[in-house]
Amino acid sequence: MLTRQRTIILIIKYLIMSELLKLNQVNLTYQTGIDNIKVLKDIDLKTMKKETISFVGESGSGKTSLIMLIAGLEKVTSGQIFFRNQDITRLSEDEVSKIRRKNIGIIFQSFYLIPNYTAVENVALTLELNKFKDPQNEAKELLERFGLKHRLNNLPSQLSGGEQQRVAIARAIATKPELILADEPTGNLDSENSAMISEILFNYVKEEGSSLILVTHDEKLADKAQRKIEIKDGKID
Amino acid sequence: MEKLIKLNVLGLVIKYAFKDLSRNFKKIFSIIVTLFISLFILSSILTLEDSLKKELNDNAKALLGGDLEIDYNRSQGNLDLVNRVKDIATLSQMVEFSTMISTLDRPNNQSLFTRIKTIDEQYPLYGSVTYEPEDAFNRIHQEDNTILVNENIFKSLKLRVDEKIKVQDQVFTVAGMVKTVPDVSGFVAFGEFALTGKQTLDLIKLNIGSFLNYEYKVRFNDGDDIETLRKKIQDIFKDDQKVILRYPENSASGIKRIINNFSQFLSLVSISAMLIAGIGIANTLLSFINQNNMSISVRKAVGFFSGDIKIIYYLQLLILLTTITIASFALSFLFVPIANIYISKGLGLSIQPLFSVINLFKVFTVGLLVLIIFSIPTINAIDRVKASNLFRNVFQNLQFYYSKKSILFSIILLCLLIILFTIKSANPSYSLIYFGSFFTCLLVFFLLSRTIIFLLKKLKVNSNIPFKVSIKNITQTKSITPITIMSLGLGVTLLLTLAMVGTNFKREIGKSIPEIAPDYFFVGIQQNEKEAFVQKVLGMEKDINLEVVPIITSGVSKINGKDPKTFIKPSNDSYWVIRSERRSSWSDIAPKDNPIIEGNWWDLMRPNQLQISLDAKVARDFGIKIGDIFTLNIYGKEIDGEVINFRDVDYRDLSINFAMLFNPQFAKNIPHEYLATAKFKDVNQFNEINMIDSFPSISIIKIADYLTKVTAILNQVFVAVTLISAITIIIGLIVISSAIIVQGKIKEFQNLVFKILGFSKKEIIYSSIIEFLIMFMSVISIAMLFAAIGSYFIIENIFELNWLFDFKSLILLGFIIGLITLFLIITTNLKFLSPKVYPLIRNQ
Repeated sequence: MLTRQRTIILIIKYLIMSELLKLNQVNLTYQTGIDNIKVLKDIDLKTMKKETISFVGESGSGKTSLIMLIAGLEKVTSGQIFFRNQDITRLSEDEVSKIRRKNIGIIFQSFYLIPNYTAVENVALTLELNKFKDPQNEAKELLERFGLKHRLNNLPSQLSGGEQQRVAIARAIATKPELILADEPTGNLDSENSAMISEILFNYVKEEGSSLILVTHDEKLADKAQRKIEIKDGKID
Repeated sequence: MEKLIKLNVLGLVIKYAFKDLSRNFKKIFSIIVTLFISLFILSSILTLEDSLKKELNDNAKALLGGDLEIDYNRSQGNLDLVNRVKDIATLSQMVEFSTMISTLDRPNNQSLFTRIKTIDEQYPLYGSVTYEPEDAFNRIHQEDNTILVNENIFKSLKLRVDEKIKVQDQVFTVAGMVKTVPDVSGFVAFGEFALTGKQTLDLIKLNIGSFLNYEYKVRFNDGDDIETLRKKIQDIFKDDQKVILRYPENSASGIKRIINNFSQFLSLVSISAMLIAGIGIANTLLSFINQNNMSISVRKAVGFFSGDIKIIYYLQLLILLTTITIASFALSFLFVPIANIYISKGLGLSIQPLFSVINLFKVFTVGLLVLIIFSIPTINAIDRVKASNLFRNVFQNLQFYYSKKSILFSIILLCLLIILFTIKSANPSYSLIYFGSFFTCLLVFFLLSRTIIFLLKKLKVNSNIPFKVSIKNITQTKSITPITIMSLGLGVTLLLTLAMVGTNFKREIGKSIPEIAPDYFFVGIQQNEKEAFVQKVLGMEKDINLEVVPIITSGVSKINGKDPKTFIKPSNDSYWVIRSERRSSWSDIAPKDNPIIEGNWWDLMRPNQLQISLDAKVARDFGIKIGDIFTLNIYGKEIDGEVINFRDVDYRDLSINFAMLFNPQFAKNIPHEYLATAKFKDVNQFNEINMIDSFPSISIIKIADYLTKVTAILNQVFVAVTLISAITIIIGLIVISSAIIVQGKIKEFQNLVFKILGFSKKEIIYSSIIEFLIMFMSVISIAMLFAAIGSYFIIENIFELNWLFDFKSLILLGFIIGLITLFLIITTNLKFLSPKVYPLIRNQ
């Protein structure tokens, strides 16, 4: 009896310990003039550590808004978001920045590299911010791993779309964050580059044990995730 | 205002500040130029002012001519008392007077009105006299009737050493040419002068017109206690009412006043440059931050705090400021030797650049205050940048952003800036008026922008597409119309004000002798010479306007029974009335060009009472009312006179003007001389040399010569004003460009969309021109009004010249500024008319 109880407690404890993210009745409403647009409605979601999830759905369904909330870049209208059991909706902008800096990497559809920084400098930015010992070398190693050895000191304008996205991924994962958020990471790329980016991303998550939440229209990419969640009219279907 | 960043992040922030600054150097080049020019102006002015004041302080004893000066004005003074000073210190006696010197035995002899200083062997007690040839200075002491004339007399009369010249009717030998004397604080600053031995006094006939002045310079023996000796000398003269004792700290008061007035103007110009530069910097910074909108979003997305990002920008400004302050301050040292060329000619001083840590700190502090005040609303806009923009691919243009805290902080900094510029300025009220005017202008232009937006929103737009687009651009939510109108308005106001100051100066310089001004002044006409003098002048030309007025000298001993010095500060414009004895006159009727503005002309029922007609400005400055009593010292006798009217006296018309006129019934019995003015129909009919031969003791002052000197000085001031204005105008243009660039960058994307939608380049240009015309036409009328008021204030109050409203020039200037600005807009827009599609679409 005691052993069974202990086992149940251990299982619950494990489940709590390995829970990375929890969204509780999250709502997001935008005010435009006199109209209120309900973008997300009563979202409940739990993700575990090392889990990969893809959000799919039509344009305007609220996928991107959802990962903006998870990243702490927008404030919820109501509800709670727990990241590692901490309610980030109650934190100040700077406190959320601190969590994001250490634990969350973001990849955008349009890459968004700083235009006057070289590839290495773009990647080293997050490493320096997290006080890594040798940011420049670590950034170089990472870029070399992504096949960009010959592009280390190039500015973003001198890189192709695929190369820019690889630099962007390197920047997002450089600090080995627990959670990677990717918004249409292959949306601006051709099929060949898309496949390469997809491979890099999933391989990395597997190797480093990070969680991945991605938003995509690409069914192939979405299918690679352990869980595929469809969002429709601001609700999880 | 900002959260203190943790020390461990500081290193990273500093590193990124340096990195970003080195990468963005070109984008903020206009900030660098604007900041450099404005700090250079400020540094140059501070360095120049300090160098001049140091020169005056270092040479205070030389400028005064001793450790102490005993001035008896027109009388020789109490020699018993003077001799008692000889027992405790070295004494040098000198007498100054003005008279005519003329060439001799030439086909066309020439003459000059000259101030002569008779000196003894002790002169100079401090400093040195430079002269040519080597023995010239000794000769004036050893040989009778020898004279050392200044360089200008020597050259303009084409004299040679040992040539004979006439001083009044006495023949003198030119011993040489004097180049500099140490005591320039007196007469020698602007006029012709000469040195002779003390025996000359016995040969020359002296009168009121000689502007005689007896002075005794005292040098204390080395090692003596200065304060004790000063006290002893004060005790010696304590009962002597006629003497004035002067000390080195009061020397060169005239030059100090000129320097203070000019410093005041320069200080206003430099703060204009700083404030205008501040606006330019705010605009450029806003444009720069808008360009970096995406980079800021990325930084926020990877976990930078908003405060850290702001500090990166503030640090970049601080690095720029520090570097530019040092560079501009160092370069200002090159400016002093250039200024010295003019100063040594005009004031007889030679200045060296003076390094002052306080000035360096002041330049840095002013720069820092201006930078922070104007960058707060721009850098605060970083708080409005959202990292979530990166998901939406939409970057809204940033606006100046104020929080309550930042407004309060800016006001405190602004007050500090005002205090820094106002405190210790020659005339703090001018500085305060200036700051008040500047911010009034700013407010008016802001209100104008809101009015334009309000009115255009009401306007029903026709089908003209470019017109529609331009109105939409002006009135859209978060439009930058207020920023553009404020920048454009202040820039144009500055340009017009300086241009109007320039044209007024030019007119004043170009203007010939005032119409009512006489051709000649004659001073020192004795009572027994009057008739003969009149006949002689009329004999040369009958059709002449000759005015002869009596003249006496008097000193103001008391006003309403009190010491006159308690009524006015020495720095006041009207202090000269009590500084020493003044010349006064009397007249049956009020002078035509001196209208009575308060009180009545003479009360004939009181012939035995001295009645005084006073210059209205003097009355104002002293706080005199009708009925007040002036106690005058006339030839040693104290006489009470009642002020019965005020006259509006304009000394600039160069006719006979007196601060005080007396009632003739009372004054005609006082021993007097005459002063005359003559205006000839044909000035060539007047034979100056013939007149000097007939009346050797009369001094003749040719107005044209006097005006030439004034014009030469005005020309030098004009060159300085034009140079400084030109530099400030460059800043004004940079500000206008920056306002355009802020718009231009925003329009770059808009133009791309228009291009894609099928707009022609012509239509885009039209819309830009219409937009500009709407804003410029509203700005120019108000700017003209402000410029007229501003230039009036500068010309009339600071330079004390006549201001004239020249509508034609103003319109022309406005038109030229409009054209230049339009040219700037079109060229800026042309750059944005063909945007590179690829980087814009790729968000680079």
